[in-house]
Amino acid sequence: MNKYFRVAKLTWDETFIYRLNFVMWRARSILQILTLYFLWASLIPSGTSIFGYNQTSMLTYILGTSLVSSIVLSSRSHAVGDEINSGNLSNFLLRPINYFFYWFARDIGDKTMNIIFAIVELSLLFAILRPPLFIQTESLYLLLTFFAIILALIMYFLFNFLLGLIGFWSPEVWAPRFIFMILLNFFAGGLFPLDILPKFIFSFFQLLPFTYLLYFPIKIYLGQVTIIEIFTGITISLFWTMLLYMIVQYVWKKGLLIYTAQGR
Amino acid sequence: MVISVSHLSKYYKTYQKEPGFLESVKSLFSRRFETIPAVDDISFSIGEGELVGFIGPNGAGKTTTLKCLSGLLYPTGGKVSVFGFTPWERKYEFLSQIALVMGQKNQLWWDLPALETFILNKEIYEISTKKFNEKLSELSALLKVDHLLKTPVRKLSLGERMKMELIASLIHSPKVLFLDEPTLGLDVVMQQALRDFIKEYNKSHHATIILTSHYMKDVESLCKRIIIISSGKIIFDGVLSSLIKQHSPYKLIKIILKKEVDESALRALDGVLNFQYPELILTSPNEKISQVTSMLLKQFTIEDLTIQDPPIEDIIRQIFNRNQ
Repeated sequence: MNKYFRVAKLTWDETFIYRLNFVMWRARSILQILTLYFLWASLIPSGTSIFGYNQTSMLTYILGTSLVSSIVLSSRSHAVGDEINSGNLSNFLLRPINYFFYWFARDIGDKTMNIIFAIVELSLLFAILRPPLFIQTESLYLLLTFFAIILALIMYFLFNFLLGLIGFWSPEVWAPRFIFMILLNFFAGGLFPLDILPKFIFSFFQLLPFTYLLYFPIKIYLGQVTIIEIFTGITISLFWTMLLYMIVQYVWKKGLLIYTAQGR
Repeated sequence: MVISVSHLSKYYKTYQKEPGFLESVKSLFSRRFETIPAVDDISFSIGEGELVGFIGPNGAGKTTTLKCLSGLLYPTGGKVSVFGFTPWERKYEFLSQIALVMGQKNQLWWDLPALETFILNKEIYEISTKKFNEKLSELSALLKVDHLLKTPVRKLSLGERMKMELIASLIHSPKVLFLDEPTLGLDVVMQQALRDFIKEYNKSHHATIILTSHYMKDVESLCKRIIIISSGKIIFDGVLSSLIKQHSPYKLIKIILKKEVDESALRALDGVLNFQYPELILTSPNEKISQVTSMLLKQFTIEDLTIQDPPIEDIIRQIFNRNQ
């Protein structure tokens, strides 16, 4: 266990080396939040509502997604592809460490950093803008939101790792990932709440894993889903997580068979 | 036997591509795959504490063999056992007893001091703090890098980085060591230091070591036994001195002349290799050595005469050429 803790800590240390980079990156995320905030605040003046969202719930949704996506959709494990192609993977195969957990530990290091800074920034924005936000007080909903985020985080990690494993078969790991990212943002509800789509499309989306990455946790937080819907949702995402895990394991084993440890 | 290899083969599948844009497009749709036997049915075994030199021309299959032995590659056929483990199953008990050191390998965290990587390896290999500290001070003193442990890796010179890589690979005191071109890119002083270090490590840890190198000096000064591999096959496995006996039934005679001689007098001699006054070098079959030397001493006024084995590089070059 200690080894993975150490990996997470080194990842943390590494981030601070390039200070300017780090500051600019945080500035970018603040600007992004501000843009979205002002856009939606002017689209729905207070007192009005569209698609069943009033200003408070829409702003909570939008700001909530950007917080959740900084937790869930931040994963470095796509670098797996580069490591396979550069032969750097050999370093890990030679040592008694699980490569899969190694990357998960790196992600945890990264995410803790993200969460801490996102909370600081959001509290500052909250204090300055005093936006009308929905505060969930029911502890059951808060707990379920937390659980849904954890599941989402694992699921996204698996997706990303799987995309990296393409590196065993092709040096072109970026193109598939690029397409995936574009589709993902749409399917996961990063651009707008998915329930404003026609009902039959939305119910189809609910069978796919993507909905559970962003949309689902926020909806639980907003308390806009029934307990039954929550448990159905959690069951579906558990199913996808397990399936993805098995696929990753299978592909990893297949890939190692043809790995040539080239370039080293 | 610590290591035993029987009928190991590893074939790579690659494809060929002609240069040019059109050919690139064509290669998207149809690729001609070729199977290249990198290692082709080799067998050998190595006992505990042996230090074996593995030599062969580029692309002979040395590195591929080491990669199979250390569990990086799944072989196409054959059996390998190291301490009773099958390497490519990569059991933790196996991995914590071995190390593969490659000239260009990079396990250090680029932006952080090398010490951080060492501490990470301490956790990975589950080394006690006491043992870690001992080992670290021993290795860093030996390689003279104790003052650089806290410098970010990207600020180190190539040689310093290589030393750090070596420490990172040896911090867990492996019982079996695979060294692939360990002296590559090092200056002569460092090469010698590394050789001494390997010899010392072999003795003090009773470690089994396989070493590949292009520098015959590495092999000559370290290994009693050598395995020569060419085009994926073992063509010699035995003691270095018997290789010389087997493959060079002749010796070199080097003479320093006292007086200048007429070149025509030399023409009558057999096996003249080089003449540049005052030095004359000629080869002679082993059994004729005494005959030839006494004849030379009679015929010329000689200041100095030495008889030596031909350089090991020459012998090996001859073997390679014969096997191509």
